[in-house]
Amino acid sequence: MPLVEVRALTKEYSKGDQKITPLKDAHLDVERGDLVSLMGASGSGKSTLLNMIAGIDRPTTGNVVVDGTDITRMSRSKLAAWRAQHVGYIFQMHNLIPVLTAYENVEMPLLLLPLSSAERRKRIEIALDAVGLADRADHYPRQLSGGQEQRVGIARAIVADPAVVVGDEPTGDLDAESTEQILLLLQRLNKELGTTLIIVTHDPKTAAIARRRIRLEKGELVEAGAPILKRELQRA
Amino acid sequence: MLGFRLLPWEYGVRNLFRRPGRSVLTLGGLTLVVLLVFVVVGFVRGLETSLAVSGDPRVVLIHSLGGGDNLENSSIPARSAALLSASLEGVQRRQGTAYASPELFLGTNVSTEGDAEPAMGAVRGITPAAILVRRRVQVIEGAWPKAGEVLVGRLASAKLGRGAAALAVGRTLAIEGQSWRVSGHFAATGSALEAELWCPLEDLQRAMKRQDISLVAVTLAPGLDAGVIDEFCKERLDLELAATPETGYYASLQKHYKPVRTLAWLMMCLVAGAGVFAGLNTMYGSVVGRIRELATLQTVGFSRRAITIGLIQEATLLAAAGAVVAAVIALLLINGAAVRFTSGAFVLRIDSVALLIGCGTGLMLGFVGALPPAFKALRMPIIEGLKAV
Ligand SMILES: Nc1ncnc2c1ncn2[C@@H]1O[C@H](COP(=O)(O)OP(=O)(O)O)[C@@H](O)[C@H]1O
Ligand SMILES: [Mg+2]
Repeated sequence: MPLVEVRALTKEYSKGDQKITPLKDAHLDVERGDLVSLMGASGSGKSTLLNMIAGIDRPTTGNVVVDGTDITRMSRSKLAAWRAQHVGYIFQMHNLIPVLTAYENVEMPLLLLPLSSAERRKRIEIALDAVGLADRADHYPRQLSGGQEQRVGIARAIVADPAVVVGDEPTGDLDAESTEQILLLLQRLNKELGTTLIIVTHDPKTAAIARRRIRLEKGELVEAGAPILKRELQRA
Repeated sequence: MLGFRLLPWEYGVRNLFRRPGRSVLTLGGLTLVVLLVFVVVGFVRGLETSLAVSGDPRVVLIHSLGGGDNLENSSIPARSAALLSASLEGVQRRQGTAYASPELFLGTNVSTEGDAEPAMGAVRGITPAAILVRRRVQVIEGAWPKAGEVLVGRLASAKLGRGAAALAVGRTLAIEGQSWRVSGHFAATGSALEAELWCPLEDLQRAMKRQDISLVAVTLAPGLDAGVIDEFCKERLDLELAATPETGYYASLQKHYKPVRTLAWLMMCLVAGAGVFAGLNTMYGSVVGRIRELATLQTVGFSRRAITIGLIQEATLLAAAGAVVAAVIALLLINGAAVRFTSGAFVLRIDSVALLIGCGTGLMLGFVGALPPAFKALRMPIIEGLKAV
């Protein structure tokens, strides 16, 4: 069973009598441990799809099933609790809490899980170590460079060991060198921890680390030139 | 358990230091508001307590028919005292002496040494029997007044609007064109008597060119109630007397102050209302700059309820600090400050009730101030919040 199942997903926005349909009847399966990149023109609906997989946006019709749970029918508060356990989100602009240290920022998702402070400490240390910032635990975001901030953001996304980690242009705000570091890190997390990653990007270099490259074209998901549904039918 | 996890405590505390200038300004504003609330509550509490403790449940005032509303207007013959002590059943007696104090009570001009303008004072002519009936009165300095002397209540200087020195023992006062030497000071457990000036009855009558008295205050024998005296007055209609329990007299005075109290509470509500805006303003400022952060917290998995509680926590923390500062200032500066008032004087009282109301108002300001901005920020869909700058 795929980890993420996107079924007939449609998202419509109506502005006055104008209708925008960034996603139209989209289908997508993401296997456990996969590394997927999602590209497409600006405004093609990449973030919209990602946010529905992450459970922070709701489709107009269709379903998203993650790890066997249909998240499109959950109540708002249930969904919040579900996110804490199942999704890690890497933002374009790290979105760290400025008044909390690197350690405390990484601790945030763990506060939502039934863990003792000793268990939390162990996990935070592992996560900070994984992103190479164990020595920066007590630093506040303003005391870190942009690339380091993003690495803390990644540590926060993986610390609860979620089923799926999504990133919305995680390298979009970084210089070439930091981008390089982040890409290596994401690849390592995928290989060594088996983290399932879905990365939205418009940067071909970022997309290059993915095992599966998907494009969004006119509301439709396309993989290697063919619509995903068609490819799946062909495969079957 | 709450069923959901709260934001860490440090988050709220540190957010207050994010914009220290703004927090300090708000703290100052909230402190001021709570302080004003303390002044008003202290005023009302002081007034209420002064009137509440003024009545002695065992004392009945016997005055002229219709003079019970304001004893200054009551007039009865001076011989009433002797007549009452001889024929009244139910009055406390010891060794043949009845506990019956004839008194002349009036509001008149009083000037202290070197005064340009006299002030309105409450003067009571008394006999040594007063000490029997007014059992709460205690001479705290100097002596009981002899002829031409005056015993000064603890709050009389406040009532007259003079410094304590003007009424020190040995100074002289001018009352009704005659001068009186201050023989001593008395306290009366915070009752309205403390704002009065006590002279020997005969001296005062002479100075006023009056032969009558205002009232006779009697102490009931143990176990009796005012009904006994009331019956006597109704039987002896020829004397044209009426009886009012002292507690009842002060309770009716309290009714006169109802508009004042209402006004005071109204003022407090207005001040508190202004305080809510101070709290609101800060929290709006603080929340508007954090929309993306609050959306991030939701993305991570914190519920909107948890975040609302976090914001309330922040605001009430600031408000609590303001309330504590205000309470300290109130206890040091306001508590016990004397206030002059139409019929007397009393001290502002910051008692437990006042503290409760003041601090409660402070906390409520924080709470109410946090809610609208929290709702505004959290009603927004997460994905919109994440796009905020
Ligand atoms: N809240 C909204 N209201 C109306 N239109 C929206 C809203 N959010 C996104 N859109 C539109 O949906 C389309 C897809 O947006 P998005 O998923 O953010 O694109 P991108 O691929 O650049 O991430 C865009 O045309 C955008 O204008
Ligand atoms: Mg986007």
